[in-house]
Amino acid sequence: MSVWLLAPLQASVALLLAPGLIGAIRWMKARLQNRRGSPVWQPYLELRKLFAKEVVVSSNASWLFHAAPFIVFGSTVTVTLLVPLLAVPLPFAGAGDLLVVVYLLLLGTFFLALAGLDPGSPFGGMGASREMTVAALAEPTMALAIFALAWGAGSTDLGQIASRILTIPSEALAPGHVLAFAAIFLVTLAETGRLPVDNPGTHLELTMIHEAMVLEYSGRYLALIEWAASLKLLVFFTLLANLFVPWGVAAALTPGALLWSVLTLALKLLALGGAVAVVETHIAKLRLFRVPELLSASFILALLAVTASFLLR
Amino acid sequence: MSPQLVSQLSVGGSTLVLLAGLMMLWRRGVNAHIGAFTAQSVALAATTAMVGWFTGDWQLWAVAVLLLLVKAVGIPILLKRMARRFGTERELEPYVNTATSLLLGGLLVLLAYVVTGPLVSVSQLPTRTGMPLAMGLVFVSLLVIISRKKALTQVLGFLMLENGIALLAVLGTHGIPIIVEIGVFLDVALGFMVMQVFVYQIHETFESIDVEQLNRLRE
Amino acid sequence: MSAPFLTLLLPPLLAAAGALVLPPRWRGSWALHAALALVSLLAALRLASLVLDGWTPTWGPTDLFRVDALSALLAACVAFVAALAALLGPRLGGEQHYTPPQVRRFRVFAALFAFTMLVAVTANNVGVMWIAIEATTIASAVIVPLTVSKASVEASWKYILIGSVGIALAFVGTVLAYFDFVTLVGQRDYALNWTVLLANAPVLHQPVIELAFVFLLIGYGTKAGIAPMHTWLPDAHSEAPAALSAMMSGVLLAVALYAIVRWRAVVAAAVGPAFPSRLLVGLGLLSLGIAALSLVIQRQYKRLLAYSSIEHTGLMCVGLALGPLGVFATMLHLINHTLAKSMMFFLSGRILDRYGTPEIGRVSGLLRVMPLTAGLFATGMITLLGLPPFGMFLSKFTLLRAGFAGGQGWLMAAVLGFLAVAFVSLLGHLHRMLYGAAPAGVRQGESDCWAVLPLAVCVVALVVLGLIVPAPVTALLDRIVEIAGR
Repeated sequence: MSVWLLAPLQASVALLLAPGLIGAIRWMKARLQNRRGSPVWQPYLELRKLFAKEVVVSSNASWLFHAAPFIVFGSTVTVTLLVPLLAVPLPFAGAGDLLVVVYLLLLGTFFLALAGLDPGSPFGGMGASREMTVAALAEPTMALAIFALAWGAGSTDLGQIASRILTIPSEALAPGHVLAFAAIFLVTLAETGRLPVDNPGTHLELTMIHEAMVLEYSGRYLALIEWAASLKLLVFFTLLANLFVPWGVAAALTPGALLWSVLTLALKLLALGGAVAVVETHIAKLRLFRVPELLSASFILALLAVTASFLLR
Repeated sequence: MSPQLVSQLSVGGSTLVLLAGLMMLWRRGVNAHIGAFTAQSVALAATTAMVGWFTGDWQLWAVAVLLLLVKAVGIPILLKRMARRFGTERELEPYVNTATSLLLGGLLVLLAYVVTGPLVSVSQLPTRTGMPLAMGLVFVSLLVIISRKKALTQVLGFLMLENGIALLAVLGTHGIPIIVEIGVFLDVALGFMVMQVFVYQIHETFESIDVEQLNRLRE
Repeated sequence: MSAPFLTLLLPPLLAAAGALVLPPRWRGSWALHAALALVSLLAALRLASLVLDGWTPTWGPTDLFRVDALSALLAACVAFVAALAALLGPRLGGEQHYTPPQVRRFRVFAALFAFTMLVAVTANNVGVMWIAIEATTIASAVIVPLTVSKASVEASWKYILIGSVGIALAFVGTVLAYFDFVTLVGQRDYALNWTVLLANAPVLHQPVIELAFVFLLIGYGTKAGIAPMHTWLPDAHSEAPAALSAMMSGVLLAVALYAIVRWRAVVAAAVGPAFPSRLLVGLGLLSLGIAALSLVIQRQYKRLLAYSSIEHTGLMCVGLALGPLGVFATMLHLINHTLAKSMMFFLSGRILDRYGTPEIGRVSGLLRVMPLTAGLFATGMITLLGLPPFGMFLSKFTLLRAGFAGGQGWLMAAVLGFLAVAFVSLLGHLHRMLYGAAPAGVRQGESDCWAVLPLAVCVVALVVLGLIVPAPVTALLDRIVEIAGR
């Protein structure tokens, strides 16, 4: 199988799995809270419903409002081509490394924030400013955690980072890696809008960040944005899973290896989703002025990860 | 036990000890602080035992057990008793706010790394890789003592400072002579007892343990 | 060779035990305490004479205790002031205003305080010395708030917190020095002995020893009252009972300085005298400056004396950096300061007892109210100013001579400037206290004259040291310069 076929395969696997991941997390949360919850495939049904509905656009909106969903969706799909979802080495290894991934995701966030401001509604503006605060604090943490990993692997190329652990298994438990995992986990919670930073199920003015930005969207625009959000969560989980626990990732491009890697990926995603569900059930949402404290703590974790990697080089 | 494994375990243990110290900057409640100190002492005892296993020195095992008994069990019991009396007073407005303290803590860890550069390059021991983190804990404890307003937090900062120095000693020298070790333990325990009495005295005299109230002596 | 050490170290322990058991109001318990302190003093003098004869007494496994000239001098100073405190304290003015439990607590912890200081100066092992100095903080902190008030609680909290943190930093320095030794030679039980460290000093790594000295200077400097770590000193020394202040200002600062002198010798042997001298001059000048300027605005006489202690400590630090003659001057200054400052604090206790106020503004007409006390107080103040014929003139003069001979003209000019500021302010405060009309309600006439007698001994000693430094003292100081000066 040619390497170039891997790219669309990765993208389609990601697109297919992403809503299912959200559904699984919701189902697990419901069960933990003693509810029956909606079935795991509910997000797919929601997407289908949204694609069929009419788009209602505010009269104050500009071209940005129409373009943003596509930019967000497009950048997130591009990212799925660059992460070690199914196999290493990656088809676009020369074009994108870990820094490109992070900044493509940030591009999506940026345009989403602009789109929140565009129609001139107060909720959108509020959500945009809150989102930017969180992103501004989470960004340096992500960059530092990347440095910690790159130092150990000798390059910021994702494929190389993953294969290094495959060749030296004891590296997985190196203090630098464990700390970087903790830091990126906290950043994941912040960037994808999960508790304790943002409640994905709320529409209360005081508490929403992501939901506030997309309040004005409807129809297929909303479908694209929701899909992109679930893809973002999948990408972060993939980074957490396949950079730190890369066993199962296909080294050769045979159908058997790829099938196996899809299965192990699904298992790891479920495990991480379970962890997030447990965290969300146990922790209350932080008040907004306490969020910088949480993100400073994750920044320190990333800093310690860098020093630990440096000390043991 | 190979030297690489010892190196990794030293860095791992020291990181846990330092993280517990940074918890003091992050969390605000007294019980969280006491929990952080207990976890730190346990991590310190574990690291000491690991070094003892590596060097085959039974004295380090004895020190580890002593650490566990005194600092992970004895002192936290006394601290919890104090917390029941003064625990409602949380660090709501320290002199330096939480986010800034955490960032300063990070900078101090970097400073500690620079300062201990000559030490790490001079030593041959495999445990030397954790020394910058131990020094980082020393600096972070100093930050805690300076920037917090409650007397109880200052006492905890002092106890963490002693933990940091003990970690530095065990990683850098594989244990100081036993007579000095025992003496240091006694000193710290006695010092803590006296500080405890003083915190009660402050509470009786000032009706709170806020150090900001201690401002009558000027010039 | 255990007899001299046992007679030196055991009496304070016995005194503490005795004070615990015996009833505090009974005159016998006071007599026992004083007698044991005198035994300790005699033992210290005996050790000094042994050292002068050329012996270096040691005792204990791995030579745990060792007395050379420096230790003997410090031990004699400590024992002397402890004996004075045992004779005179805690009640100093004739009127009993401490309750029996307070008196008992004072006697027990003052004896323990003396014990820990004696262990600190006679220990050969740097670790044991550290343990003893930390123990001095604990023992003295317990009796600083002998009378509980908001001010004394604040002072004692600052003292124990800053003191313990400082000492912990000194321990970091100790660990770093031991670490360096271990990387070169390996772990040894005797590695923490002074003699071993000094012998191996030339091979120790420079950056490590420099870092260790910075920590040690900051750490022990906190205990010695060196700026900028001095903030606890004026509060603690002014709020403590007078006898305790005398011990703290008189000898505890000297013991901390002793630790710095010892470590300076090791560091100078390892990396040369330039590095420690730079640090000592910098911090010493800072202490001198801050103290001299603070003296001007003081309104309480005990705080005044405390800042004067900081000033003298700063001066002694500068002296340590001026070569062998400077070290000689510093050690002579140490003896003089111990005698003068402890006497001044005992006298200030009597003044506080009579006038009932710590304010300088409310103390006037001292010459008329308590003529003997006033006379001794004035003598002490003149000594602290550095005027002849008292000892401090000689030591300050020698220090300045050492500085000018070493080519440190600007430094000495700065020192003289600060000393001049201190001179003027102290003289002004003294004048305000001695002369003028006595305030109403203050009983006139000296009471309990016998208590003043031991303090007169101090004055006599100061005069003797000022006119002719006796040969044994000079010999002792010469030996100290051999050990510690380079």
